[in-house]
Amino acid sequence: MQDLAHFFISIAQLLSQPVIILVLFCSTFMGIIFGAMPGLTATLGVALLTTLTYSFNESIALVSLLAMYVGAVYGGSYTAILLNIPGTAASAATAMDGYPMAQRDGAGRVLGLTTTASAIGTIIGMLFVVLLSPLITKMALQFTSFEYFLLALFGIIISGTLTSSDLVIKGWIAGLIGLWMSTIGRDQLLMYPRFTFGNPNLDSGLEVVAVLIGAFGIPQIITALRARVKLAKPVRIKRVLPEFGTMLRNLPTIIRSSLIGVGIGAVPGIGEDIAGWVSYGTAKKFSKTPDEFGTGLPEAVISTETSNNACIGGAMIPLLTLGIPGSPPAMMLLGALMLHNITPGPMLLIENPNFIIEVAAILLLASVSMWICGITLARYVTRILEVPQTLFMPVIGLLCVIGSYALGLKIFNLFLMLPIGLLSYFLIQMKYPIAPLVIGVILGPMADTSLRRALMVSQGSIAPIFERPVSLALFSIIVLLILSQIPWFKSLFGRVQREISSKFHHSH
Amino acid sequence: MKKLITLASAALISMAAQAGDFPERNITTVVTWGAGGGTDTMNRLIMGEMAPKLGVNINVVNVTGGVSGSAGLVDGYGRAADGYSLVGLSESNVAAGVMGGWSNRMDVFDYFIVAGSPDLISVSTKTDYKSIEDLVTAAKANPGSIKAGAAGAGSIHHLNLLAFMKGTQTEFNFIPYDGSAPSQNAVLTGEVELVITSLAEQSQLIQSGDFRPLAMLVKDPVTVKGNEIPSALAKYDDLNQYLPISQSIGFAIRKDAPKDAKVAIAKAFTEAMETEKVKTFLDQNYYVASGQFGKEANATFSKLEALFAWTLADLGAAKVSPDSLGIAKPN
Repeated sequence: MQDLAHFFISIAQLLSQPVIILVLFCSTFMGIIFGAMPGLTATLGVALLTTLTYSFNESIALVSLLAMYVGAVYGGSYTAILLNIPGTAASAATAMDGYPMAQRDGAGRVLGLTTTASAIGTIIGMLFVVLLSPLITKMALQFTSFEYFLLALFGIIISGTLTSSDLVIKGWIAGLIGLWMSTIGRDQLLMYPRFTFGNPNLDSGLEVVAVLIGAFGIPQIITALRARVKLAKPVRIKRVLPEFGTMLRNLPTIIRSSLIGVGIGAVPGIGEDIAGWVSYGTAKKFSKTPDEFGTGLPEAVISTETSNNACIGGAMIPLLTLGIPGSPPAMMLLGALMLHNITPGPMLLIENPNFIIEVAAILLLASVSMWICGITLARYVTRILEVPQTLFMPVIGLLCVIGSYALGLKIFNLFLMLPIGLLSYFLIQMKYPIAPLVIGVILGPMADTSLRRALMVSQGSIAPIFERPVSLALFSIIVLLILSQIPWFKSLFGRVQREISSKFHHSH
Repeated sequence: MKKLITLASAALISMAAQAGDFPERNITTVVTWGAGGGTDTMNRLIMGEMAPKLGVNINVVNVTGGVSGSAGLVDGYGRAADGYSLVGLSESNVAAGVMGGWSNRMDVFDYFIVAGSPDLISVSTKTDYKSIEDLVTAAKANPGSIKAGAAGAGSIHHLNLLAFMKGTQTEFNFIPYDGSAPSQNAVLTGEVELVITSLAEQSQLIQSGDFRPLAMLVKDPVTVKGNEIPSALAKYDDLNQYLPISQSIGFAIRKDAPKDAKVAIAKAFTEAMETEKVKTFLDQNYYVASGQFGKEANATFSKLEALFAWTLADLGAAKVSPDSLGIAKPN
């Protein structure tokens, strides 16, 4: 009760300062732009603002950093929906249904849904920070190397299963290609060079952003220019409606996706990238119309956008309770907080128990400002699609080049982006989904190092997989996922199911 | 008259040069490690304090990757030697040469060391190891069975672990992690028994009672909130041959940069080190302030370079032999 009072006092205090409100909106807006631009990431945005807010007081800095984070995670959905090029890896799952839906119903409708879903996701994530931090911390501490390995493998397999419009095995093949690509570079445990051919540019492995832009951007540009397709229906809209009715109907999806987002965000080291996919997969599993996933289903975009924003709250939990950042942007946040003489960790909650409430208050304000910015912006950004193809696609191409170069300022990234783009184009032509490849590159290092580290710890034994509850559960899910695609198992499983249900009916 | 004007203007020009025109524009600091890490945070702090003293902005950018942060070294060293480009780095960069990341020695830079935090060995409070002697006895009874977590091969914490094993004639099962935070997390999850990271990184977990600090890996004991952590060097005399290996976080400027730029930066650095904000930060986060620059700092880095290079070579992890780079073996 006292916490609740403090929560409202914090909000009132923040809102009573005009400069805070200004900073809030500016940072959210910047965050959305950072998220939407392929190549600019939430981490980079937070890093930039850390320097800019260095000389300001703690609350201004905190407001701007969190607003930037919230905006950037949401902003990635813009380009995913409008162009089928996700601005961040976090929004790759949103493109699956967001893009076809935008082509069918107009981008305004989709943006209305995703904006509201993101705001709700952030708020639910925030509630978990306040209410369940200690419990979630305990859960996150169940994750040792075997669990990390299985979780990464699960992420790759599920995205392969979900994205394939043809044979599911094609999705897995794409995922495995990504997994192989992630082994290029020095291995992170013993620094042994793999597939680097003596080229120092490859030492640190393939840059994820260059792979992301190449794999999603280039094929889309080639396809659009070849087919001369209209990007999306340029529906003239007066304003973007949040569609509260649709949101209410999808309440179970929203709650489920938020839980997934918070849970995944709380596990240190992984975040938004994988949350979208897991939540998309679960939504499909529970859906009444699973076959329509991928054709532009409101509940699909709602599920992905709610969960990737709920991740923010989740990532704050280990940061604030253990001093361990739950995601890459949270890592930057840790450094920024330390500059303002706040050291996140277990002592923070003992010495400054109100801090977590203040963070929650700021997250709430950030999600409100994100919602206002988003709904206002959506009206204008949909007009981008009215620009003729022949003008628009070269601009996107240029942005892809700049985006790949900007991160790390390495020319080598361009040499990386182009061949990966061409490879992806041909894979797409052969009906291989491309998202699992990118997820493979992102989660590959975690799968690789975690498995090897786990085997170092267990001295070569794989028995711990079956002895630890979380890893056993993950292992069983993966085995079921794979078996369910094998024809004889499918028919066997179907027959068993039919028999059970027929017996069930007889007895009635 | 004409002569006088020439003389006067010459005097003026030289005075202007004396007073130092540096800096006329903004400075960029290339940090070789990731955003939010120790080196990054320290650089953002010191640059934030130096900027008003120099009267320009200092932009901090992260260029990460390669081996031992070599991508940032290559980038930072590749910029013009005009004093407008600095490189944010730490002791762990010195291995970049032997790891094949870049072809220069570390002596192409002049160093400014802000601070470092001493390493220590800690275990989870759930384990039975109450003292460093308990741990050493257990390790001697079952060599290689106790799991020790630390950041990846060739990191300063790994080097500290190697030195500790040599000095106490023990053997642990070294489990490498992607950084200090994941290795500390592994103690909390029970994946490893002990961890070596810096006091700055552990202080919160020690104070909260999650970690039991067993021994400092520096000469002197340290007191954290009233509890003294003893020095391992005092208990095991042989350790003094190999330890301490001190962490050194700061930044560097190209050695061939103009002298007036170096002087201006050294002045701003010294003043920044004295500010309340820097002092409070270092104090609260258990860093030991250094403030070294010039010959002293360069000697520190030269020593670190030799130590890292030869340790990695002995481990078989070095790609380029220290000999071929002209790095002498430390005695």
